[in-house]
Amino acid sequence: MIFWEIAKRNIRINVLRSSLAMLGIVIGVVAIASMGILGNSLVASVADSLSSVGDSVIVTPYSGGGMRGFGSTGSAVNLKITDQNFQQIKRVAAPNIAIPVYQTSEHMKIGVGSDDIVAIIYGLPSDDVPDLLKIKEGVYNNGNTGCLIGPTFAKDHNLKVGSRISIGTDGDKGTLRVTGIIEERGMSFDISTDSALVVTKEWFENTYNRNADYDQVVVKVKDGDTAGVKIAIENQLNKRKDEKIVNVMDSKATLATIYSTFGMVTTFVTAIGGISMIVAGVSIFNVMMMSVTERIKEIGIMRSIGTQKKEVMSMFIYEAAIIGVVGSTIGGVMSIMAGYAISALVLNTTKHLFTIANALSVAEGMGFGIVICLACGFYPAWRAANLNPIEALRHE
Amino acid sequence: MNEQPVMVFRDVTKVYPLPAGDVTALDGVSFQVDRGEFISIMGPSGSGKSTLLNLMGCLDIPTTGDIFISGTRIGDMSDIELTNLRRDRIGFIFQYFNLFPLLNIIENVTFPMMLKSQKAVDPQKGKDVLRSVQLEDSLFTHTPTELSGGQQQRVAIARALINNPDILLCDEPTGNLDSKTGAGIMDLMTDLNRNGTTIIMVTHDPHIAEYSRRTIRIADGRIVL
Repeated sequence: MIFWEIAKRNIRINVLRSSLAMLGIVIGVVAIASMGILGNSLVASVADSLSSVGDSVIVTPYSGGGMRGFGSTGSAVNLKITDQNFQQIKRVAAPNIAIPVYQTSEHMKIGVGSDDIVAIIYGLPSDDVPDLLKIKEGVYNNGNTGCLIGPTFAKDHNLKVGSRISIGTDGDKGTLRVTGIIEERGMSFDISTDSALVVTKEWFENTYNRNADYDQVVVKVKDGDTAGVKIAIENQLNKRKDEKIVNVMDSKATLATIYSTFGMVTTFVTAIGGISMIVAGVSIFNVMMMSVTERIKEIGIMRSIGTQKKEVMSMFIYEAAIIGVVGSTIGGVMSIMAGYAISALVLNTTKHLFTIANALSVAEGMGFGIVICLACGFYPAWRAANLNPIEALRHE
Repeated sequence: MNEQPVMVFRDVTKVYPLPAGDVTALDGVSFQVDRGEFISIMGPSGSGKSTLLNLMGCLDIPTTGDIFISGTRIGDMSDIELTNLRRDRIGFIFQYFNLFPLLNIIENVTFPMMLKSQKAVDPQKGKDVLRSVQLEDSLFTHTPTELSGGQQQRVAIARALINNPDILLCDEPTGNLDSKTGAGIMDLMTDLNRNGTTIIMVTHDPHIAEYSRRTIRIADGRIVL
């Protein structure tokens, strides 16, 4: 249609002005989309480093309020879960599996003459280990002199299945043979095994003279109702208002809170990007008003020879739409590039770039750019269409 | 002549309400234009010529009285209907040509056709009309600014004729041309009138008015003899 053609030609003839208006939209789209991409990549990156912990309820000794951090050592504050408490947890959580966990930090040496290192050792019942951990090499450890090691620990110290580790400052706590290497779990709310050793419950009790006084209990919830299990445990063990025995953490709820927090951060930074889009919108409005003012006489001629108001309006809306679509498309492409650069610089990885969430962020930025252009072009277009043709014809 | 008049003004008054008081631009104007007439409207500045032209061109509606264009009363028409009437029944020719600078000559001429058909049109009719106003073929793809004043006015006449209007409404059509070019344009309009086109021309130039077959003189918003 002729009005589309006129809109295109008007943009072409005012190429500098139109380009500057487009630049505003490009910047706005890049700001919104790249911030969205950064936020999404951040969430994906965190999700990647958190293991599949959404099915656990973690019970730790009550430490006066607040939850423990990731992988913290309960033994350090000398608070334990008694066997009686563990039995109660086991009963309440049934048919879900309750796994008692011992935990300590220990000096150790890898090979003769090697440096002394410190790592966390977890003691777990042999039968329960497969429910909590998957191994990528070797076999689960059933013997008293074997252990499983985390993949980071294995890599850092060049350990393989069959390697030996001397436990204790001078090897005084014996030697353990690596029977298997655990799959990477990432950060975890229960036990963080990537840089740790896992031994049998019996070895731990014998070595550290422990007797059914656990550092934590991990309940693996099969039906997904972690909240229900948490409430049941709290109701059973923290019956008395003046004396709490345990802290109970629902990993699924905690995970949801983390994602929700990151989601809010993403929304916030995207909103900051949106401010630049508002500025771009003002620029579009200005350009469109200039376009209308320059062409008042032309509008008068058009109206006098039989152009309807809606046709005049469409001409200016087309102009705004072209600026919006071209600007947003360029902005979309550039935001992928910017997202790539930001992800590489901030997160040191670009593996989370090409995701549906990021595609939506780009689409969101582009859509917002087009909508802003159309919205800011609407009033000038309306004004043009409603000019009095007699006055417009007289305009010089 | 039994044929219906193309334009009838019946006791038309146009009053502009202004803060300082109402201004009566036209006061009880009545006349009729028959098909095939060539009329010039003359009058001094401020006499009401422009108001009359706006009403004849359906750009405005009267305060009182009736105006009929080809039998249709315009007083109660909506903006959309008036716009369609201008597009289909009236051809406008302006003093300053008023072509669209972003469109080439063919596009300028076929613009009203596109408004009417709401789709792309065959440029052949545009070419035929441009040839009928004696514009060279080589200029058809040029833009208006590349043409002389006389050539631009011929394009404007072609644009006014493209939808076969009932009336050609001209506002000082030679006012921006030298006398020789102006004479050429008036010869063209005389030819068009001989071929049946009804022309109403507003002018203050008595020499140009001589081309018409009837003159309506207006002063202080009234038709004078």
